[in-house]
Amino acid sequence: MSATTAIIKKEVRTYFYSPVAYVLIGLFLLIMGIIFSRFVAIYQQVNAAQRMGQAQGVTLDKLAVYYYQNMAFYLCLLTPFLTMKLYAEERSQNTLELLMTAPIRTSQLVFGKFLGALSLMSIMVAITFVYVSFMIMWGNPDLRIIAATYLGLFLCMACYISLGGLISAMVSSQAIAAILAFVVLFALYLMQMLSQGVTSTWMGIQIGPTLAYLSPLGHFNSINEGLIQVKDVVYFVSFTGLMLFLTHRVVESNRWR
Amino acid sequence: MIEVKNLTKVYGDRVAVGNISFTVNKGEVLGFLGQNGAGKTTTMKMLTCFIPPTEGTAKIAGFDIFEQPLEVKRRIGYLPETPPIYKELLVQEYLDFVVELRGVPKKSRKQKVDAALDKCNLGDVRGRLIGNLSKGYRQRVGIAQALVHDPDVLILDEPTVGLDPKQVSEARGLIRSLKSEHTVIYSTHILSEVQASCDRIIIIDRGKIVAQETIGDVGSSKIAKTEIVIQRTNKSVADALRRVAGVKDVKEHSNGSHRLIIESEPRSDVMAEISKTVVNENVGLVRMSPVQLGLEEYYLNLIGGRTAE
Repeated sequence: MSATTAIIKKEVRTYFYSPVAYVLIGLFLLIMGIIFSRFVAIYQQVNAAQRMGQAQGVTLDKLAVYYYQNMAFYLCLLTPFLTMKLYAEERSQNTLELLMTAPIRTSQLVFGKFLGALSLMSIMVAITFVYVSFMIMWGNPDLRIIAATYLGLFLCMACYISLGGLISAMVSSQAIAAILAFVVLFALYLMQMLSQGVTSTWMGIQIGPTLAYLSPLGHFNSINEGLIQVKDVVYFVSFTGLMLFLTHRVVESNRWR
Repeated sequence: MIEVKNLTKVYGDRVAVGNISFTVNKGEVLGFLGQNGAGKTTTMKMLTCFIPPTEGTAKIAGFDIFEQPLEVKRRIGYLPETPPIYKELLVQEYLDFVVELRGVPKKSRKQKVDAALDKCNLGDVRGRLIGNLSKGYRQRVGIAQALVHDPDVLILDEPTVGLDPKQVSEARGLIRSLKSEHTVIYSTHILSEVQASCDRIIIIDRGKIVAQETIGDVGSSKIAKTEIVIQRTNKSVADALRRVAGVKDVKEHSNGSHRLIIESEPRSDVMAEISKTVVNENVGLVRMSPVQLGLEEYYLNLIGGRTAE
């Protein structure tokens, strides 16, 4: 256990010692800030129009759903820059040898690195509680839905990070790790939309719904609307578990090469 | 302390380490000598459980490297060829991380880190970024990292590479001083280094052990060589020297320089007699010095004329 915490501490610390953490958090908050202020403007416009009887009103809860959908998307885009270094950097600077010859299990290493990146991202997302407080100050959002949303975001992050970590473990260049993770995550994310209208079947499996199921987007959306279903949680947990397991195998396979 | 039995590592059809066996006793410093690519690093990586052997096994402090890697790793400190450092951490932070990673209990961590800083003379750079340190300091951080948890066995892969001469001698001193508490294996391709700090050497060539010797055996053979430089050469000097009891052979340098190589028994009274003879001949003795039968010669003899490859 102590080895896992040592790795988590080291990961978080090195994020803050390099510009990575600051750039990522800054960029993320900038984007989310712009989107939030746009949403506030839309909210005001629409509600003013509604009072004139010209348009249908929009509830704050509905806006929050859109807002967090955007957040899940931007988190997906930023994850590769967080996960690219996890293993690729260790390998290129020969510190993997240090970690692999320390008296720790590979599972502790993989788990420590995963939790390290997840903690940094959680810190980043926790700052967006500021927007929740704005909503509470000037509106009346359903806090239970928002709590569910943050759970959904957390599950999404776990799944992105585990996938990014796996890719970082497979390549030795950070740049390639970032680009590959970006492509894969983006493709996975878009699969939900791409699968719309696909009606063909393969060996009795309907391809469209299967692709949609594999994308985290649909699962996040239903949690985001306040509906925590076992099947969605199972999706996130098993996805993350599978990725961590594969990472473990890949890291372990370094010994045999 | 370390028992290696028939350890073999094969990459594809290339045999990196072929069936080597040796033992190292507690408190011994073992020099692992060989050319680049002879299989030193591969052997060390197997001993540290970083890569598994193709065949054979090794036991460290009674634990098998394949069956109980965690127990083995707990008892070794390892410095790879390139020191495994994080450039963005401070020296102190780095050692704090390593000591925690190696599972040292919380209450003794600080004391262990301080001791390691002290042993490696890193006290005055503990607050500096590793990335800003010179190569010699980084190497020392690497050594500190290997011994920070007080392991029974230290495995150092070319620990003196990249150090300046003063630091090399410091590093040798450090390795010598570790001897009392730790068993040390260290690899090098510099011959004078093993002579200076090892009890025993293993010479490895193309994955095979070609010699296992204690240092004493290599340096001091039964013949002492003495070189004499004189001002004038006359025929009778060599003959007079040959008549001295204990002298086995006298070689004159053919290229006209006034130098003689004398092979004799390594006894001081023989040496005294030699100097007296030279002085009596009145040829102007300039210098008389022992010729070390170097490890170098020994080594080159062993691995034959293949150094050119």
